[in-house]
Amino acid sequence: MDRDDERSLVARLSAGDIDAFDEVYGAYRPKVFAFLLRMSRSRTVAEDLLDETWLRLVRHTRDLRPDTRIGPWLFTVARNLYWTYRRDSLVEDTYAPELALWPSPAPWPSPFELAAANELERRVERALSTLAPQYREVVLLIAHEGLTPTDAAAVCGITPEALRQRLSRARAALAEKLHDTAAVAALNRGYGT
Amino acid sequence: MLVMVENLKTRDVSQRHVDRLRNQCRAELQARTRRNAAFGTVSGTAFRRFIGPALGGAWSLAYLLEVIRRAAAVYGF
Repeated sequence: MDRDDERSLVARLSAGDIDAFDEVYGAYRPKVFAFLLRMSRSRTVAEDLLDETWLRLVRHTRDLRPDTRIGPWLFTVARNLYWTYRRDSLVEDTYAPELALWPSPAPWPSPFELAAANELERRVERALSTLAPQYREVVLLIAHEGLTPTDAAAVCGITPEALRQRLSRARAALAEKLHDTAAVAALNRGYGT
Repeated sequence: MLVMVENLKTRDVSQRHVDRLRNQCRAELQARTRRNAAFGTVSGTAFRRFIGPALGGAWSLAYLLEVIRRAAAVYGF
């Protein structure tokens, strides 16, 4: 979507055009949901946050500036909702292993991972799910959702330079985790045979 | 490395959820549009920016003056 189309879409949306809403909804719903699902690692939570993201859009259509970038706007709202949820949740990921309620990340493949089409995808999903959320979000926003580094930095509320550093660390962490899962997979195959 | 992430599948909610959320958002959008049309865009904006705060301010000032007047009466001024 080029800038002129996006401006026109924002103008129509601000005027309460249902067709404009449908267009945005169709284009961004799967992207926002995939982002929230991979961030929260819970379908139920992702669905709730997705609902809230879209309701916020329709409640704020009149406040949208003409130059609003719809994609980054939606990802910013979704991300903020995720972090609010995370802060509000009673059991933080960091304390969960100590409390022995459930390990984080899960040592068993989630239904999400099992649904992955092939082994490589499973490995990438699993490695991604074990990244720290701050790293996971930049990897997802840039690599999967295709945001520019500037837009992704704005979504995360950091400078482009900080984002570049975070992305670099995230890539290194992801590479390490992929290496680990490959080693584990090889080990399992070894035991299996 | 990032290419592997790029190639991951995009997930989506169930069709039922898609439809329910779309209908909810449409209803909200239509209700807001109707409300705005009832006020009129210009008068709605004018109310939000000027008339509303002015009325609120006037009411607060009247309330404050009455509190001061009664307090003064209690203390015999």
